[in-house]
Amino acid sequence: MSERAKSVLLVGESGVGKTHYGAQLLKRLMKGDGMLRMRGAATNLDPFETALERLNEGRAADHTPTPVYVESIWPLEYDDGSKAELVWPDYGGEQIKAMVTARSIPLPWMRRIAEAHSWLLLLRLNKMRASDDIFSKPLAQLRQRTIQSAASPVSDQSRLIELLQMLMNVRGHFNGKPLATPHLALLLTCWDELQGTGLPGAALRAQLPMFFDFVVSNWQKPKILGLSALERALSPEQRDAEFASRGPESFGYVISHEGDRSSDLTLPIKLALVGTI
Amino acid sequence: VSECSRETCFVPDTTCDLGFLDRSRCPAWSAQPSSLPVDGKTLDDVLLPWSGNALGLADISFLAGRAKPLTVGIVGPHNAGKTTLLAAWYLLLGRGLLLGPGRKFAGSCSLLGWENIAGGLRWAPGLQPTFPPHTTSRAGRAPGLLHLAVRDDAAEFRDYLLADAPGEWFKRWALNRDAADAEGARWLAEHADAFILIADREALSGQDAGSARGALQLLTQRLSAEYGTRPVALVWTKADIETNSAIEGAVRETVNNRIPDALEFPVSIISPDTTAKGTGTGLIELFDWVLNVRRRPAALPQSTASCSDPLFLFGTRTT
Repeated sequence: MSERAKSVLLVGESGVGKTHYGAQLLKRLMKGDGMLRMRGAATNLDPFETALERLNEGRAADHTPTPVYVESIWPLEYDDGSKAELVWPDYGGEQIKAMVTARSIPLPWMRRIAEAHSWLLLLRLNKMRASDDIFSKPLAQLRQRTIQSAASPVSDQSRLIELLQMLMNVRGHFNGKPLATPHLALLLTCWDELQGTGLPGAALRAQLPMFFDFVVSNWQKPKILGLSALERALSPEQRDAEFASRGPESFGYVISHEGDRSSDLTLPIKLALVGTI
Repeated sequence: VSECSRETCFVPDTTCDLGFLDRSRCPAWSAQPSSLPVDGKTLDDVLLPWSGNALGLADISFLAGRAKPLTVGIVGPHNAGKTTLLAAWYLLLGRGLLLGPGRKFAGSCSLLGWENIAGGLRWAPGLQPTFPPHTTSRAGRAPGLLHLAVRDDAAEFRDYLLADAPGEWFKRWALNRDAADAEGARWLAEHADAFILIADREALSGQDAGSARGALQLLTQRLSAEYGTRPVALVWTKADIETNSAIEGAVRETVNNRIPDALEFPVSIISPDTTAKGTGTGLIELFDWVLNVRRRPAALPQSTASCSDPLFLFGTRTT
């Protein structure tokens, strides 16, 4: 494998846990006991400095401010010895929502979308609306509905589908054929918040069936994984003494597409870069 | 408001219809004075080819690029349940219940349009005589075509367009085929691949049942003159309501006489029993009929050979 930099387009709205996952991933890569490990040092650890520090103290990281977009390049080595470079971003998730709302893609984002080797979409199912979504209303209520003079906010499913359609359009994939590349991996973050176990795909299908259908009918092999970057909820103020003493590297797990639990947080990245484990 | 001189281009709402991502390189655009950013979009931003709202007639050219979509005209009087039918389908789609096994939702370029309908949004003020060329994402609800892409297990991919049109068009069209304010209905009569004729059981059993019957019979006659060989479904909406069998029989007879191959579907948003998933009555079956609509293959005109010489088989001989 060549050493060409491979970038993962990390897409996640605000509050899904991009920074937490980035910081935890960085720790694991530096520790070097996973499928991927750091070869040398990352160019720039600034974006994760505060987050790493917070996690070491057993506290949650702050919200990344909206306009921020920073990239750092991580030289990686696979467990078979081959090499790659990963471009990993950290940014305020509001940028993603703004793109869908404004229905336009800023030029820097267009380049990222066009060049990315694979797309990693982070979703936090627990944050999806459940009560005031139009899909939650019984069908029979359509008769008593009051006529609205202003559009109601769009449903989460429709926003996520539009987001992926926008990305596909930038790549010129709009001919109706199921895509082989870019690889698509959906990471269901904060997996520990979801009650009950089961396959990540089944959890996604149960909560966002239209979005699930959209993904599986437009990608040849989409991967759906569960991720709990911290394994427990941390507060920004209160320290979690146990988390701090055992260290952030002892926490976090991934549920694979097939439902297996692994503590190797680099697994989704390997999957995104190579397409298989 | 479009800033481009081309009638089919709606920059900055959607992307350049000639395909220039960098608008300044488009010959039609360069004729324009330099403009300021609109709605927070700068000139560098990449726009999309669709606005998300119901598609206008100029908008569908983008979709038709991958395959000709199947267009379904939903024809019926005002307040007969056309919108409720569309809204119910979208709600079922959102719950993953609309498409049977073997079929999957594969996208839509009019998600905002669907959401507007399902959210009960009123028509934007001012009745239009036909489908607008384009509807912006902020225009609210306007007549247009709602898009749905479906892929089946055999990896067959199909685009469907369902017409969301006001009942007034059809009322005018039934009375006068060439009425100026029925242009949208004429467009559908010409371009739809299938028709859903809505019979409102509530109107047909209420106080004004007689006039509702008359209007529906008129509409049936008009449709029967226009549908040719295209599939037609007679859909009884609000099927849970007690019927007036005499009036219903009269309507059925008219439809059977004029459009003998029309299929009947009673539909309702009320589910027959409370234990079911709440999928209403007949809605999924009717949508399945829509999905199975196929365009008839084009037939070449018959021509007779004028001589036996293969090189001059179809010419006309002048002697």
